[in-house]
Amino acid sequence: MEPSPQPMGVAAGGSQVYPASAYPPAATVAPASVVSAGLQSGQPFPANPGHMSAQHQIVYQQAQQFHQQLQQQQQQQLQQFWVERMTEIEATTDFKNHNLPLARIKKIMKADEDVRMISAEAPVVFAKACEIFILELTLRSWMHTEENKRRTLQKNDIAAAITRTDIYDFLVDIVPRDEMKEDGIGLPRAGLPPMGAPADAYPYYYMPQQQVPGSGMVYGAQQGHPVTYLWQEPQQQQEQAPEEQQSA
Amino acid sequence: MPDSDNESGGPSNAEFSSPREQDRFLPIANVSRIMKKALPANAKISKDAKETVQECVSEFISFITGEASDKCQREKRKTINGDDLLWAMTTLGFEDYVEPLKLYLHKFRELEGEKAATTSASSGPQPPLHRETTPSSSTHNGAGGPVGGYGMYGGAGGGSGMIMMMGQPMYGGSPPAASSGSYPHHQMAMGGKGGAYGYGGGSSSSPSGLGR
Repeated sequence: MEPSPQPMGVAAGGSQVYPASAYPPAATVAPASVVSAGLQSGQPFPANPGHMSAQHQIVYQQAQQFHQQLQQQQQQQLQQFWVERMTEIEATTDFKNHNLPLARIKKIMKADEDVRMISAEAPVVFAKACEIFILELTLRSWMHTEENKRRTLQKNDIAAAITRTDIYDFLVDIVPRDEMKEDGIGLPRAGLPPMGAPADAYPYYYMPQQQVPGSGMVYGAQQGHPVTYLWQEPQQQQEQAPEEQQSA
Repeated sequence: MPDSDNESGGPSNAEFSSPREQDRFLPIANVSRIMKKALPANAKISKDAKETVQECVSEFISFITGEASDKCQREKRKTINGDDLLWAMTTLGFEDYVEPLKLYLHKFRELEGEKAATTSASSGPQPPLHRETTPSSSTHNGAGGPVGGYGMYGGAGGGSGMIMMMGQPMYGGSPPAASSGSYPHHQMAMGGKGGAYGYGGGSSSSPSGLGR
C-alpha cells in the first residue's frame, strides 16, 4: 500500500522570484542560453575588442553584461534553493509520511545484484535525497525554459540542465541526442531575426575558440559551429562518467 | 492501491526482475508534485518532462546505491546504511546534498531513539507490505560470527520492509508475512557509528535473533 505523501515543511513563500525585466530583448536571450551550455564561465572572450567596430563593441558589452547578470541571477536562485532545503529540514517533525514511497525506493536499490541488505534508514535518506534531486533538476531545467521565453517545462529543458551541470553527467544517456540537437537548433533560429551587424557580434562574444572577425562568411561558419560543439559535449561527458549505466 | 506489485521469486535475483515496467520508477504523481514545488504557479510541465525526471531519479538512486554498495563490500559489510549513502554522494559530486541530509538523518535517528525507548511498535500509517523483499531464501555467508544478534528498530514502511527482510534469513527462509506484528523487535543504542549495529550475522548457521 502506497502511503499518501504530504508536502514536508512549508516551502518559502518568497521562493522562485523571476523578475521579467531580466530578459528584455528576445534576440539576446536564446544565444546566451544555448552557447553558454558549453561555457563554464563567461569570463574568457577570445575576440579582441580592438578589432571590432564601435557598434560591435557596444553590442558586445551589452551582451557580456546581460550574460553576467543572468549567471548571477541563476547562482542566487541556487543559493536560495539550498538555504530553503536546510530551513525545510529543520522544520521537519514528521518522519512517517514521505513524499516518495519507501518500498519503491527500496526496490530500485535492490535492482542492483550486489546490493544485499539495506538498513531501515537508507530508504528514508533516499526519500529526502530524491526530493532534493527532483527539485534541483527541475529548477535548473526551468532556467532554460525561461531563457527560451516558454512557460511549459519540456524534455529538452531537462536535457539542457543535464548538459550544463557536471554532477548530472551520469544522466547523459537518459536524454537522447535529439533533445540536445533541438537545443542547438534554437541558436540559428534566434540568431536570424537580428540585423547583420548585431548578429556578427554574438559569435565573437560566445565562441570559445579564437575566430577572425569578418563578414557574412564568418557569420555563417560560426553559426554552424555551436551546434557541433553541443553535440560533442555529451560524448565528452560520457567519457568522464565511465561507470556502468543500468538504465535499459 | 497502485503499489500492489510482487517481486518474482527464485534463486536468481536478476536485474529488473519485476514484471512491471513502472516498478523501476517512482510514481509519476509523486514526482510531478515535487517538480511543481520548484516552479512558479503558472508553470506547466509536459508529460515527457515528468517521465524523463522519473528516469533520472531512478538513475540517481542506482548511481548512489552502486557506489555505497561498493564501499560496503570493500569494508566487508553487508548492510547499506544512511552514512554509506551520504559518503557515496560526497564521492560522486553531490556535496551540497550531504549537509541537509545529515541534518535530516540526525533528526530521524533522534525520533527513532525516542520511539524505541517508549517500546511503541512500528504500527504507523504504513502497515508492513505483504510481499517478499528478498527472493533468495537464504544467503550462505557465515564467514563472521554473529555479533550478539542484530539491532533493529521500527520506523516507516521502509523499516517494516527491512524487518521482513531481516526476519527471512534468521528463520531459514520462512517469511514473517503472515502477521503484521510478529516481526522481531529489539532495541539497540545507536552511537552513530557504522559498526554499532551489525545485521544478518550468520544468517543460516545460528538463528538467534530473538535472544539478547
